Amino acid sequence: MKADAVRLPEELQAPALTAGLVTSGNLDDQVLTFAFKKPPRAWYIGFAITSSVMTLGLVLLGYTAAVGIGVWGNTNPVFWAFAIINFVFWVGIGHAGTLISAILFLFRKRWRNAIARFAEAMTIFAVMCAGIFPLIHVGRPWLAYFLFPYPNQRAVWPNFRSPLLWDVFAVSTYFSVSLLFWYLGLLPDIASMRDRATGKVRKAVYSVLCLGWRGANSHWNHFEKAYLLLAGLATGLVLSVHSVVSFDFAVSLVPGWHMTIFPPYFVTGAIFAGFAMVLMVLIVVRETMDMKNLITDYHLDVMSRVILAMSCLMGYAYLMEGFTAWYSMNQFLHSIFTNYFIGAYWWTGWLTVACNVLIPQLFWFKKCRQSYVWMIVIALAVTTGMWFERFVIIVVSLHHDFLPASWHLYKPTLVDYGILLGSFGLFFTMVLLFARVLPVIATTEMKGILPGAQPHAVKSEE
Amino acid sequence: MTQPKSGDTFGVVGLFESADALMAAISKVREAGLGKVEAYTPYPVHGLDKALGQRRSPLGGMVMIMGVLGALTAFLFQWWISGIDYPIVTGGKAPTSWQAFVPIMFEVTVLFATFTAGLGMLFFLNKLPFFGHPVLHAKAISAITRDRFGLAIEAEGDAFDVAAAVRALESAGARPIEVISVPSFSGPMTARYLERSLLGIAIACAVSGYATYWAVKLFPVLPPTSHMLVQPRLDPQKPSAFFKDGHGMQLPVPGTVARGYLPLGVTSQEEAATLVNPLAVTQKVLEEGRQAYMNHCVVCHGPLANGVPTLTSAYGAKPANLQAQQFREYPDGKIYWAIVMGKNAMPSYAADLSEDDRWAVIHYLRALQRAQNAKPGDLAGVKFEAGSGQGSEGKAP
Repeated sequence: MKADAVRLPEELQAPALTAGLVTSGNLDDQVLTFAFKKPPRAWYIGFAITSSVMTLGLVLLGYTAAVGIGVWGNTNPVFWAFAIINFVFWVGIGHAGTLISAILFLFRKRWRNAIARFAEAMTIFAVMCAGIFPLIHVGRPWLAYFLFPYPNQRAVWPNFRSPLLWDVFAVSTYFSVSLLFWYLGLLPDIASMRDRATGKVRKAVYSVLCLGWRGANSHWNHFEKAYLLLAGLATGLVLSVHSVVSFDFAVSLVPGWHMTIFPPYFVTGAIFAGFAMVLMVLIVVRETMDMKNLITDYHLDVMSRVILAMSCLMGYAYLMEGFTAWYSMNQFLHSIFTNYFIGAYWWTGWLTVACNVLIPQLFWFKKCRQSYVWMIVIALAVTTGMWFERFVIIVVSLHHDFLPASWHLYKPTLVDYGILLGSFGLFFTMVLLFARVLPVIATTEMKGILPGAQPHAVKSEE
Repeated sequence: MTQPKSGDTFGVVGLFESADALMAAISKVREAGLGKVEAYTPYPVHGLDKALGQRRSPLGGMVMIMGVLGALTAFLFQWWISGIDYPIVTGGKAPTSWQAFVPIMFEVTVLFATFTAGLGMLFFLNKLPFFGHPVLHAKAISAITRDRFGLAIEAEGDAFDVAAAVRALESAGARPIEVISVPSFSGPMTARYLERSLLGIAIACAVSGYATYWAVKLFPVLPPTSHMLVQPRLDPQKPSAFFKDGHGMQLPVPGTVARGYLPLGVTSQEEAATLVNPLAVTQKVLEEGRQAYMNHCVVCHGPLANGVPTLTSAYGAKPANLQAQQFREYPDGKIYWAIVMGKNAMPSYAADLSEDDRWAVIHYLRALQRAQNAKPGDLAGVKFEAGSGQGSEGKAP
């Protein structure tokens, strides 16, 4: 509250976090009513599309399970292909949510409150999509529980020195913690919905979901502490998860994978891709759900800036990778790195650089940070680029391994593409469902940062 | 403390318009000392803890303890599994080396700590879920979770002055004020309902457990799991329906030649004499020839090819002196024939020397022969570089 005492010049003052008149009451009326209204026709059309794409993916998953993973393009020496690319891609998408909800919370960036809920929900859906892929990649997913260390009649334990096992722990921890974090934030909002709900079934469902939250201050006391602690822990977690994912590569000896830069490089890429996805979805949300007063131009501007910063970091990481290859004087590393750009898959390397480093530079222009068209174009480019970055890292590094006799060009099959498409279907189906049944904006957190929400008398009483 | 009965007065709650008004009212209401004072707010309001005299949340300590416990659990678990119970040596590390355990220790620490923070807060500190709290059944709750700030004076013991509490809130500026009584526990909260739901849960557990048991039993023998048993492949010494003759292993196609074993094309020593050495005389070929000679020929024919052996004299063998006039005039093809077919006591070296090696050895042999029968004219045309002394070596032609 000290900042209020000093009058800062206009351009240095923190911008307003909402537009127009927003009060606690009309915030609830605006945000919480979606669950009680019939969705518009556009929602049904969108849902029909995404759920049929999801169904396509499910059918192909069933086909894969019934016939075996021979229906994919994976073959010697490219055994890690679409499944692992998609896994890394989706886990990465999830990271933006945790960054927004945890790291920006610790930094007291109050603009995060409006977008945190949606970003967190996207984290959970993205990790759900990600979880499918290692599961089906093991070949016999019904035996995937072998991955967990449990006493068994085979008297065998998993290898705790394997990064793949670290991954099992990291991703399952990440999913449970994200879910818990999201649910805790939702509790008071669900309580508000409970008290708005009129139907008997709705009321019962929301009552149970909010565990009888009643807003008592003794509860808020513990709640705030828990939220702070969770934010601190999730910050460490989010940095660790993609680092552990990168260990899957960095700890092995494949040239192009065995690099010390991988953990920070992967985390940056994850946040980068995630922000692009959040930006895209939020543009759609604020337009279709009429939330321009809560998700303001300022929010989009800040997110564009984050994407720009991450893009520069990505450019640095790519340069560093090239420098490492050159400086190592390792002919295998030289060959792999030049292969990224002039090999059989040369266009993927250039596509990655163009989409991740060059195109986002447009965000230096204020015009691009304010125009939906540019923002969506750039966000789509980043999403594509980040998918292809993982393609370059995984497939291009693998298809020319140490043994020239086994060099082989990898070609994905229609099943590969179908499952990838299906994961997008699952993601957006979940997003659409979420938008209709739960508050898409953290109303409780928003209420706490509205002008006049916090008592000014605190200081004088002390 | 007696259990509150339904119909008893729980307390009085008054609503305020703003956080400031609530804040101002708290100290007045607390001074009256009519009962326990609690605030109900739509969002956490800063400074209320202090104003209400509530202690700091002990959650930090709990999380710390559980986090450390998580780290220890993960460490001991991995250490015992990887080091004691099922040691796997990976990357040449000692089975108990701890460094590789760090990632999982970190994840388990976070898992323990976050679940302590989240669930400990809900279940242990806040005593949720609790659906029977009187405030939840008051009219005020829908205003509280929306945008009003409730201040409640809650009864402590039997002597609760409702009228005084209402007056205290009224003078503090609360509008409206509601007297809350303990709700009659009906519906989901009755013992009969709880019994039924427990029974339902037990039945569900039994059914799903039984189903899981059979699923696990049947899974390996039903498709698609059973597809793993169908593996079209050739087993050694087993018939196969794949080929017409019913054999799994097939004979090679007639005329198949093993790599490096091309047929000679000549059938006698005389025919062989017409063969011409296909290799050019270069430093590289001579070096290859020298190596092959040193590996295979030198034990009998000697380093100078004069039949003074390095080894086989011990066995009383009499290898040919290749420096003899007869052999110096031998055509290359005849030497080749001898290498491939063997001669007298000498076995065939076809298996040991590739075709190129055989011809390279012949070039090297010619070099040896010439070196041992050198004439002054041989050096004609060789340029000596001043001081180098490298112009000519024994084995150079």
